[in-house]
This record gives sequence, C-alpha cells and structure tokens, in this order.
Amino acid sequence: MITTPDLIESLVAGAKPVRRLRPPAARAALWLLFAAAIVSLLAVSHGLRPDLGARLGQPLFATGLAASLLTGVLAAVAAFIVSLPDRSRLWLLLPAPALALWVSTISYECLTEWVSIRPDGVALGEAADCFATLVLTSVPLWLAMLLMLRHVALLRSAAAAVAASLAVAAIASTALALFHDLDASVMILMWNLGTAALLVGLGSAFWERMLFWVASR
Amino acid sequence: MPSSSHNRGPDSTPVAEAAPSSAPHSRSGQERPPARELDWSVYMARAQGGDREAYRRLLQDVTPYLRSIAARHFRNSGDIEDAVQEVLLTVHAVRHTYDPARPFGPWLVAIANRRVVDGLRRQGRSRAREVALETEHETFAAPQANLAETASDGRVLRDAIEQLPPGQRDAVRMLKLREMSLKEAAAASGMSVAALKVATHRGLKNLRKIFGRQGGKT
Repeated sequence: MITTPDLIESLVAGAKPVRRLRPPAARAALWLLFAAAIVSLLAVSHGLRPDLGARLGQPLFATGLAASLLTGVLAAVAAFIVSLPDRSRLWLLLPAPALALWVSTISYECLTEWVSIRPDGVALGEAADCFATLVLTSVPLWLAMLLMLRHVALLRSAAAAVAASLAVAAIASTALALFHDLDASVMILMWNLGTAALLVGLGSAFWERMLFWVASR
Repeated sequence: MPSSSHNRGPDSTPVAEAAPSSAPHSRSGQERPPARELDWSVYMARAQGGDREAYRRLLQDVTPYLRSIAARHFRNSGDIEDAVQEVLLTVHAVRHTYDPARPFGPWLVAIANRRVVDGLRRQGRSRAREVALETEHETFAAPQANLAETASDGRVLRDAIEQLPPGQRDAVRMLKLREMSLKEAAAASGMSVAALKVATHRGLKNLRKIFGRQGGKT
C-alpha cells in the first residue's frame, strides 16, 4: 500500500491548473438555454399544437404549464447547487412548491375532466408521437446534465440524481403540453406524473453507472 | 492583518491542535482558528491555478485533520489511513468545485464525511460476509484437528511401515515415500508391476489398520 506522504507527492506531481466551476445559477442557466434550444427545434420541426392559443387562455392550463416550467427551472438550479459538496441538501426542496402546484393542477383537471376520454379512445398514432417527443426532449437533456454534473460521481450523487431527473421530467412534460393535444385526463395523468416518476426512477437507477462512465471518459 | 505570524502558526501546528474535539463544530468549520482556514482557502485557490508548492502544503496541512476525522469512525490504523487517502484522492479529483469565495472547512469536511461513510459501508458489507482468521482459530482441543505435520508424525509413520511384511514394506517405501514410478520400482526390486500394485494396496490397508488400532488406544 502506498503511504500517505507518497500519495501526496504523486497528487502534487499530477496537479495541473483546473478551471473553476461557474456559479450553480450560471450553470443552470446554461443547461436551461440548451433545453430551450431543444424545445424550439422541436417546435420548428413538429409545430405547436393547433389549439395552444385558446388553451393558454384557460387559467388552469396556463397555471399548469407555468408550474411545470418553473419546476424544471428550479429543479435544475437545485441539481447544480446540491452537486457541490459544501451546500446544504435542503436546496432539494427548492422546486417543491412549484412541483406541488403542478401536481395539483393535474389532479384538479383529472377531477373535473375525468370522463373526457373521446369515444374512440386515444389513437395509437398520437401516443407514439407523444412518446417520440418525450424521448427527443428528455434524452439530450439528461445527457447534458450527466456531462455537466460528472464531478458529482464522487460526491452526493443520489441527491443530484433526483433533482436532475425532476428537471428533465418537468421540461419534457412542458414540451409535451406545448406540442400535443392530449386533454384526456387519464393520458394527462399518465404522461405527466407517470413519465415524471419513470424518469426520476430511471434517472436514479442508472445515474451512478452513467456518471462513472461519463467521468471516466 | 498580522498574516505572517498567523500563517506561520498553523503550518507547524501539531496534530492535536488541528483536530477539532467534536463533530458538530467541525461540520460548520468554526472551531479552527480563522487564519488557518483562510490559509487553506488561499492554498487551494493557488493550487487551482497550478501552484504545486501551495498544493503540497495544503495536502500536508489537512492530512492530520483528516486523520482526526477518520479516527472518530475507525479503530484500525490501516482503515484510518485508507480513509485519509480516499479523501485526498477525492479532493484532488473535485478540486475544481471549490469556490475560493466560500470557506474551505465545510467543503473539506463534507468530502471527508462522504468518504468516511463509504468506508463504513464497505466495512459493514465485508463484516457481514467475512470472518477474520485469527491465530486462535487454528488450534482446537482435538489433536486430529491440528493439521500441521510434526516430526513425531513422520516417525510414527516410519515405525508403522517397519511393522509391515518385507514385500509390502519395500513396495510402500519405493512407491509412496520415494515416489518412484511403477516401472522404476519394478526394475529396482525385480518384482512385477502387478505384484507391486498388490503389495502396495495391501501395505496401505495394513497401515490403515495399524493406525486405526493406535487411534482407538489414544
């Protein structure tokens, strides 16, 4: 086994100048800029949903959309803050109020419109399209998060994984609401809460493995 | 600021003073003299810029402090040193995450706690599955359990072989003790291979009987 003084000497010998991380808010802004670019590209290629203008006039839809967007923004900020070793883990609670608002708007919509599934059900084509949008937004965002947080592999990776996955899920869900005409309550519930839970679960499960893979590149 | 006297002080501070006495205080990094933490912060800022001398002083300076943190959780000096080295490696790997505008103590302590917890988990896992083999585990009351061959065992075996009939005795000696092949033994003794095999087989059977009798006596 190497002795501690020898280890110190070898670390000192390998010490190259490093670039300090930018403040967490700045890094979150960078990631959100990337997210905005992805969503805009999708909007150009896919087109916004036709009834977006009318739906935005409805307070419930507008509140839900704003809440999911805010959840994404705050969760991204929280992820970059808790990834630093000396910050409090309580920062994880930062997106909680927005998350609660988002969940409550979905639930309210479920209560009021739970019978609004169309008689012919939801067409498969629409669902597959939705899934494509979901993958196209969440995968690049998740990879960007992994790259930007690769140092966290050695620190608090579980806390960062939850916040990062929540950020990705919220942004993806916002994109879904912008592009897809899925007002049937079951689908809303499935897509919003289901995908958020799925992304947070998958994110947490694969996070550590992926981080070590990214960090070792 | 009387920086020269303060700066010199911490560098020569012995281990005992570097070690905070209780966890909650060290967590907030308030227990150490501010000058010391300021030193560490300055050293780290310079190390981030590539100043190796500052980096060496920082690592040497924090090592006794890290050892005192690890010593609260591990008894074995090897485990303590392992934990200290893990922390140093992590500090090296994530040194770009330190912001010199913030105090250095909490940053270091958070990393140290993380590595100590990892070490404790590792220890818990290995303890759940492994039993350390101590010297007292090697000897049991029953003499048969002591596997180490002693000189007396050899003598007892030779005495037993002496008691065998001449044909069996020679066959066992050549084939088992001197480890000759059947052909070599046949050439040396003038017996046929088949006769040697039979003689060895009977000889071993007799030896087993002899030792069985002795075992019964003891």
